[in-house]
Amino acid sequence: MNVLGVSYGYHDASASLIVDGRVVAASAEERFTRQKHDSNFPTFAIDYCLQQGGALRVGDIDQVVFHEDPHAKFARVLTTALAPFPRSRLEFVNSTKSWMGKKLWALNTVSSRLDIAADRISYLSHHFSHAVQAFMGSGFDESAILIVDAVGDWASTALFRGRWQDGQPVIERIFEVPFPNSLGLVYSAFTAFLGFNPNDSECSTMALAAFGRPVYVDAVRAIVAELDDGTYRVDQGYFNFANFYKGVVTSRFTQVFGEPRSFAQKLPFRSFGAPGDATSDVQRFADAAFAVQTVIEERLLALARRLHREHPSENLCFAGGVSLNCVANRRLLAEGPFKNIHIPPDPGDGGTAVGTALYYDALHERVDPRAASYDPYLGAQYDERDDIRMFEHVKPEHVSRYLKRGLAPLPGMQFRQATFANVDDLVAEVAGRLLRGNIVGWFQGRAEIGPRALGNRSILIRPDDLHLALRLSRDVKDRALFRPYAFSVAEEDALEVLDVAPEHVRFCRWMQFAQPVRSTHWDKVAAALHVDHTTRPQVCSAAENPRFHRLLTAFGDRFGLAALLNTSFNPSGYPIVSTPVEALTMFARTGMDALALGNTLVWKDAN
Amino acid sequence: MERAKIWLAVKFVWPLNGKMAEAIRGFQATEADGVWHLHRTLHRLDDPRQRAILFTHGLEEEAHAEEFTLAYAHYGQRPLAPANFERRELYPADEPTWKTFAFVNVGEDDATQRFRLLRDTIDDGLLKESLGRVVADEEGHVGLTHSLLVRMGATDAEIRTELRRVRVQRLWESWLRSGRRVIDRLATVILSVVYFVIGAVLHRTARARLSRTFVDYDNNRIKKLVE
Repeated sequence: MNVLGVSYGYHDASASLIVDGRVVAASAEERFTRQKHDSNFPTFAIDYCLQQGGALRVGDIDQVVFHEDPHAKFARVLTTALAPFPRSRLEFVNSTKSWMGKKLWALNTVSSRLDIAADRISYLSHHFSHAVQAFMGSGFDESAILIVDAVGDWASTALFRGRWQDGQPVIERIFEVPFPNSLGLVYSAFTAFLGFNPNDSECSTMALAAFGRPVYVDAVRAIVAELDDGTYRVDQGYFNFANFYKGVVTSRFTQVFGEPRSFAQKLPFRSFGAPGDATSDVQRFADAAFAVQTVIEERLLALARRLHREHPSENLCFAGGVSLNCVANRRLLAEGPFKNIHIPPDPGDGGTAVGTALYYDALHERVDPRAASYDPYLGAQYDERDDIRMFEHVKPEHVSRYLKRGLAPLPGMQFRQATFANVDDLVAEVAGRLLRGNIVGWFQGRAEIGPRALGNRSILIRPDDLHLALRLSRDVKDRALFRPYAFSVAEEDALEVLDVAPEHVRFCRWMQFAQPVRSTHWDKVAAALHVDHTTRPQVCSAAENPRFHRLLTAFGDRFGLAALLNTSFNPSGYPIVSTPVEALTMFARTGMDALALGNTLVWKDAN
Repeated sequence: MERAKIWLAVKFVWPLNGKMAEAIRGFQATEADGVWHLHRTLHRLDDPRQRAILFTHGLEEEAHAEEFTLAYAHYGQRPLAPANFERRELYPADEPTWKTFAFVNVGEDDATQRFRLLRDTIDDGLLKESLGRVVADEEGHVGLTHSLLVRMGATDAEIRTELRRVRVQRLWESWLRSGRRVIDRLATVILSVVYFVIGAVLHRTARARLSRTFVDYDNNRIKKLVE
């Protein structure tokens, strides 16, 4: 059976293909269109999935599964727009135009764009899609399921239980918290208040929180009040969720937290190196971030305890946008009632395309739960040889005229390249360059799904060099200095550097949990530490990513620790690179020193 | 006509809250869109030298997108949100590749004229400086894309025909956009009336529904579009 999963319409449009119970391909549309969080119909992602399935045609697809119930969602949108009457005309007009013009007909659009009969299209409600996404790839026989995001159809938080019965998944609802009570929306509202892009830069809020003091925590606890049943209620007097054209926070909010930060206002905090000089006005933003981060963690813990009471399992499956909060995830693992936590590699809306298609397939074919597990390396792979031949003809003096702003051209720069017959020679050369302080792009095999670069579309440096990390932030990534980097470590060295329980190491394979680093190793990984001496590690095994593991090991042989600072391979404001040409473009324009494209290494030589 | 439109926009629309930044965001998105199309076209070429020309051209457009990103950061009130156009191939895969350059050539020509007029209209400042640099490059691009058309074997007659077709298509798309704007305004008026009619009746029900503390029906099952 061939099942195509499709999600689109709000953000992170994606597609996936399941063939006989196995995930063959998955990708976000943004990887093909170079528009971060692209929400449009995933034409290119679908095309990729069909190609990856063996040049399938749409006629070969047995079922298309969509991730949302547009009718239920439209009912919520209309209700939301009418509730503040008569002060919500703009909200009503704009949302109705958007929905009547396009979104309400999403299922029909799937049918017409793919030219597929309507009886071959199925759909699930938004949070149920997240629930099956969380459970299907977990490998658990049974589990509690927690879904927390901004908002779906009506729910913003949902508690489920899941189990396998006669080779089929059974997922039952326990409780759903309705919009506008939403932890995700509260976090996004604070993100906007702090001058970052909501639905994109929540990671900046999380990073900033580490510099905060417990000044506003009680205020936020009162706004997001915990209820006796373990759920929560959001005081709507502080937010305009139902009428966001008025601004996402109200005057009551600004009375407590002050005026919102202008995005142009500098934040002097640094995750490493000399601390900046934070004035009290700037410090209040970090304090606000600290407060919302703390309260979100507390509410998640309360939800987890409630869920455990309802379904006393050892296992938790967690998905939805809030599950990208790696700091909260650590508390959930360390202080929560569950022994095992599974978070899918792409736990946001994009990943629902995988889970829903797997679910449909499993309902119609008996499946071994463990066979439904998948790793993040499901994206597109390219043959880089033609692009490398092309790059031989690119003139460095021409490139030098269009470098990233502020970057001085290297005098007499030349591009050099070498192709290695075997991987060991490649990793030895790259490890040597990393040790010498090069910034190296590492572009290998199939792209990762989800927001994390896990060793196939990564930029790497040695993890102890603070000056190099500053150069990486300034000349390559355009990254604010308060945002920490993370490192990847070979699983053999993980316990040496990470201060975690041995049984928790296996949860750290996809950079989903912030973890403390042992003080003995603070200097060794100083550039990849946050100010609180935590990092968001990728523990890499030879089984999951053999080539990257070899690189880590080769570097570790010389450095004494098989760990590299690993950041995503993308320029600021763009998605992670997908094609070799995009990788070469970033390499050419920025301060990267070398780029490993498959078995070929390209580097810049200066006189 | 174009000069008058730009003058009116700069003098009367841009001073309105956020409109100038919105326009700059559009320029940034246009340049980034150019990079995307160049990369797509590049993959259809066999000759590594021709690919290298497009690659370098893409670097220039990427630098222009960065120019506008920085200008947006200077004039904007909020962080630059990523664009969200629906990307489409310019031509079906079975059409000759040179046609793409006809499209790019017309696009570059239009952009150059618009940016030049804009540069000459606005006051001194960061955007004017950025436009100065971009216009200088884009003038070269118009010649470059035209020479690529010739190099890829298209005849003069074919080139003239395709350039004319692209111009007519762009004009038609521009009229369609104008038509959509008129319909959009009309829809706003009609929906505003609808809002006051149904809002007066239903807003209490809506408020009651939003004050619930739990979702009172279970929608968690798989459904078919057509049973």
